[in-house]
Amino acid sequence: MISRVTSQTLAQSALRNLQSGLSDLARLQNQATSQRAFAAPSDDPAAAAAALDLHAAQRRNDQYARNIGDGLTWVTTVDNAISASTSLLGRARDLTLRGANSGALDANAREAIALELETIADELLAQANTTLLGRSVFAGTAEGSAFGPDFAFAGVPGSEVRRRVADGETVRVDASGAEVFGSGEDSVFALIGSIVADLRGGADVRGRIDQIDDRMNAMLGVQGTVGARQNQIMRAKDAAADATVSLEAQRAAIEDIDTVEVLVALKSQELVYQSALAVTARVMQPTLMDFLR
Amino acid sequence: MSTFSGLGTAASALAAARRGMDLAGQNVANQLTPGYTRQRLETSAVAPPASSTRFGPVAGQGVSVDGIARLGDAVLDARVRDTLAASGYWSARAQAAVRAEASLAEPGKNGLADQLSQLWTAWQDLSNAPDSTAAAAAVVTRGETLVARIADGYRSVAEQWSSARDAAELTVDQINAAAAEIAELNAGIREVGVAGGSANELIDRRNLLAQTVARLSGAVGTVESDGTLTLRVDGNALVSGTRARELDVTGPRSIGAGEPVVLAWREPGAPPVGVSSGELAGTLSVLAPAESGGVLAGLAASYNELASSLAATVNAQHRLGSTASGAPGGDFFAVAAGAPAALGLSVVPRGRDELAIAAPGAGALDGGNADALSGIGKRSDGPDALWSDVVSRLAVATSAESGRAARAETTAVAAAAAQQSVAGVDNDEETMSLLTYQTAYQAAARVLTAVDEALDVLINRTGLVGR
Repeated sequence: MISRVTSQTLAQSALRNLQSGLSDLARLQNQATSQRAFAAPSDDPAAAAAALDLHAAQRRNDQYARNIGDGLTWVTTVDNAISASTSLLGRARDLTLRGANSGALDANAREAIALELETIADELLAQANTTLLGRSVFAGTAEGSAFGPDFAFAGVPGSEVRRRVADGETVRVDASGAEVFGSGEDSVFALIGSIVADLRGGADVRGRIDQIDDRMNAMLGVQGTVGARQNQIMRAKDAAADATVSLEAQRAAIEDIDTVEVLVALKSQELVYQSALAVTARVMQPTLMDFLR
Repeated sequence: MSTFSGLGTAASALAAARRGMDLAGQNVANQLTPGYTRQRLETSAVAPPASSTRFGPVAGQGVSVDGIARLGDAVLDARVRDTLAASGYWSARAQAAVRAEASLAEPGKNGLADQLSQLWTAWQDLSNAPDSTAAAAAVVTRGETLVARIADGYRSVAEQWSSARDAAELTVDQINAAAAEIAELNAGIREVGVAGGSANELIDRRNLLAQTVARLSGAVGTVESDGTLTLRVDGNALVSGTRARELDVTGPRSIGAGEPVVLAWREPGAPPVGVSSGELAGTLSVLAPAESGGVLAGLAASYNELASSLAATVNAQHRLGSTASGAPGGDFFAVAAGAPAALGLSVVPRGRDELAIAAPGAGALDGGNADALSGIGKRSDGPDALWSDVVSRLAVATSAESGRAARAETTAVAAAAAQQSVAGVDNDEETMSLLTYQTAYQAAARVLTAVDEALDVLINRTGLVGR
């Protein structure tokens, strides 16, 4: 059946088509101005689910970047403190060697060496209690200073300060004070104290050189490990920077519009709408009345 | 055959043509009236009284106006009602789903997923600085913000449910009012039909009301032999002849009840009415309990599930740690009994001293447990995954509902266009018929003049030979 066409049906269908053209135009305009590919999850459920995951991954990655920055400060602080300690210990070794040359020294000269060694011991203790933002970097997870006046190590045995640098990767950012400086009677402070006592008591300090060398080796060993961790953190930093770029690229591919594509679609939809308006204006005008007199 | 029968014929033609012009006027006047169906004059030729006279066969006696036909199509009207009912059902559901989805604000900065992520990163910051009271305060604040967001989400769903409940009642009132008016119109149409008059305008008005009732309630209509319209909902008559029955919605007034909202006849002891199309059915299906597939109750249950899961996973991990003083960790989230979990959720610790940041025995400034807590965000069975699943499922459902609503709308528009193409008034057509009737009127007047002149000759000039 050929359906009957009246001016009313013509007007209504024209109105309907104009409306649908306008709503397409509005959708494209919304996309072009908001730069978002979808306004609600239901526009593209799969993309919305992926976008949620990507947002969470981006938040995590930003956090890892912060953790890495914090970890690097820790590792650098530890490294600097150990470097300062090894040079102090080198100076202590020189002084001990001079003190061991007992034949050439009188009591005053030995006292001068003892006094300087005492200063070095104090400086070493200060290095061992180096703090970062109020936390002692050699004390591990314990509160307060790493070493007290009795040179006992205050840290919790086996405890480590770690920073999460990636989803499945944590890095230790501190160094055990006991490993670097020794603890109690075995500590480098007690060792220098004994050398000072020996010098003042007139005893031979030649035997102490080996002990100083042992401690020096221990310190250098820990410094090597700290350096390796610093490398690991730097690699994680590069990885996090790469991940930032690639996550943003993935997010943009899902959430952001292809501007050129949307603009072309917008332009063609505009053309469709305008021609619909022009055609409607022509078709709707004439009636039989115009031709009757 | 009477001498003056020609005058009678002309008079009937004049009357018919005038009627025709009146009717064209009525059509033009009502071309924009909603529900108006175009009308046409039904005429027939009047046969001569006797078959033949001594002068031979005679012409007919003019034209008789038999009636005014209403050019509607009952099949198309019924189709419009059916498609409107389907479209009403799906659009009510789609609107509810779209509104619920908009309240999620996902994916974005105001969504729950982002708030969850921020809680986990706050724990990570605290793990980096276990001695910082500021970082601890940030964890507590993030927790409280998240709790408030979950409660807000639940409340907005509950509000939407209540407004849908009010809408259901309003819809039933509209249906009842329209049904009562249809019953009155039925009475009027039957009376006019018995008296032999034209009830076209009453029928138009009744069809318009029937369309409204069908869109709202999915009622199915049948035109009876006496001209009355019967409307049935769930097989029982809503309107039958001159009698209309009333519907009523009963059931809980808030989302938490878990009971279905029931439609029933407003009569004592009447059984529930099952409706499967129309806006009311759509609204009732949106109001249904979660286990019956109600989208709002389902979303509210998801908020509760999220609150419970969040409390359970975070508390389990929090209890494994120890606080700065070395005491074992307590609960991080508390869930108040006697209220929906989404509304009863709260943060227990007030500051750093009550947060289990350290792993037990690992030292006062260990951040191991805080790190483990931040790892909850990555668990495949954690709150984040649960919420992402909720968002995806609602998105897929909303997309499907919107698609169905759009298709039902297209069908309804097509049915209305088909109805309009038969029933609608066309200006050109009416102009033509106006012109035709006008010419017919002029011709009939000419016939009258001709007969008059002939009679003038017969009466005034006969018998005047040679004068």
